[in-house]
Amino acid sequence: MFDLNIEGAELFALPFGDIVPYFSVYSATLAAFVLIFILIAAFDRPERQLNIIFGGDAFYEKEIKEGDTRFSRFMAIACGFATLGAVLTGDIFNFTLFAVLVGITNIAIVASAGNHHVLNAAFQYGIVAMIATVPLFGAAAIILATTGTLSIWTLAGMGAVPLLAKAMLILGVMGEGIAPLYIGKAEIIRAQGAPFVLMIHFSSLLLFLRVTEIVLVI
Amino acid sequence: MIIRKLSGILSNFTNLSRVYAVMVIIVVIAGIASIPSLDYQGDRLYPKTIDRDSPLDPYDRGGIPFESTVVLAEYPENSPYLGYITAYLTPLSLALAAATPHMGTTIVAHPGGIIDEILYATRGLDTVVETTILFVGFAVAAHLFRRREDE
Repeated sequence: MFDLNIEGAELFALPFGDIVPYFSVYSATLAAFVLIFILIAAFDRPERQLNIIFGGDAFYEKEIKEGDTRFSRFMAIACGFATLGAVLTGDIFNFTLFAVLVGITNIAIVASAGNHHVLNAAFQYGIVAMIATVPLFGAAAIILATTGTLSIWTLAGMGAVPLLAKAMLILGVMGEGIAPLYIGKAEIIRAQGAPFVLMIHFSSLLLFLRVTEIVLVI
Repeated sequence: MIIRKLSGILSNFTNLSRVYAVMVIIVVIAGIASIPSLDYQGDRLYPKTIDRDSPLDPYDRGGIPFESTVVLAEYPENSPYLGYITAYLTPLSLALAAATPHMGTTIVAHPGGIIDEILYATRGLDTVVETTILFVGFAVAAHLFRRREDE
C-alpha cells in the first residue's frame, strides 16, 4: 500500500484484529490537524455576541454562560475524535461508521441552539445525513461482496473495487459532509456556540480528504 | 443562464435534500444497471452457516465453551485467541441451552448474542462505534428533552 503515491511512507500500524489502523505520512498529517482542533474545541471560550442597534449608539451583549455551551463543547470534542477515527482506520466499514458518527455529532453540536432558523437547517441536514447512510453502507456492502474483504491494506492497489462502490462511497461522504453548506446558508457561524461550529467544517473537510485517499488507494 | 438557475435552486437550503436525493437516485439506477457486471466473492471472509437444529439457532457458530472454533480472519496473526470468544457461553446460557431449544432467540444467548459481529471477535471496534452512534443519538434526545424542562 505504501508504494502508492498518495500515502507516503508508513509510520506506524496498530494490529487490532482485522481492523488495522495506520499512520502514513498523509494520514498522520491529517491526524495532527485533528488533534490541534480537538484541543481548540476543548479549551476555546464561547464567542460573545454583540447586537448593534441601528440608528443609534446602543448595543447590547448577549450573555452566554458556560453551561449553555457545555453540550456543544462535548459534542465538538466527540466529533473531533470521530474524525480522528475516520482518518486513522484501515477498514472500509469502520470508516463508514465513523463518517456516520461525524454526521450525528454535527447535528448534536447545533442541537442546543434555540434559534428556529438554525434548528430548521439542522433538521434538513439530518434528513440528508440519514439518506446518506444508504449509499455509505451500500458501498461497504458492495466492496465486501465483490472482493471478499474490507481491509484497505488488502484492497490497496488491487483495483478490484467496482466503480459503483467508489461512487456510492463518495456520495455517502458527500451527504455526511454537506453540513458546512447548511451552516453557510443558515448563518450558524453567528449563532450561539459559534467556536464549536468550526468543528463541523473541519470534520467535513477531513472526511473528504480521507475518502479521496481511500478511493485512490483501493 | 443555467448557472443562475442552479444557484437559485441551491440557495434555498430546503432544496438541498432534494438535490442530494436526485443524485442518490441517479447513482443507484446506474448501479442497478451495472449489477450484472459485478462478480460475487462470497467464499472469502466471514462465512456464516445456520444450523436450524441447534438450541442457539441463529447465533450458533460451533465449538464448545472454553474450546476454540473455526473462525476466519483477514489477519489471523493479529488475533491469537481467535475462536475462543466465539465458542464461549456463560454458565447460565449454557444451562439454558441444555434446557430449551430456543436459547438463540433470547437476549442472554451469548456474550454478543444480540450483536453478531462480536462473535467473530476480529471486528470488535465496529460494535463499539455502532453503539457509540446510538448513544450520541440518545444523548442529543436527552439533552433536548431536559432543555425544555429548564425553560
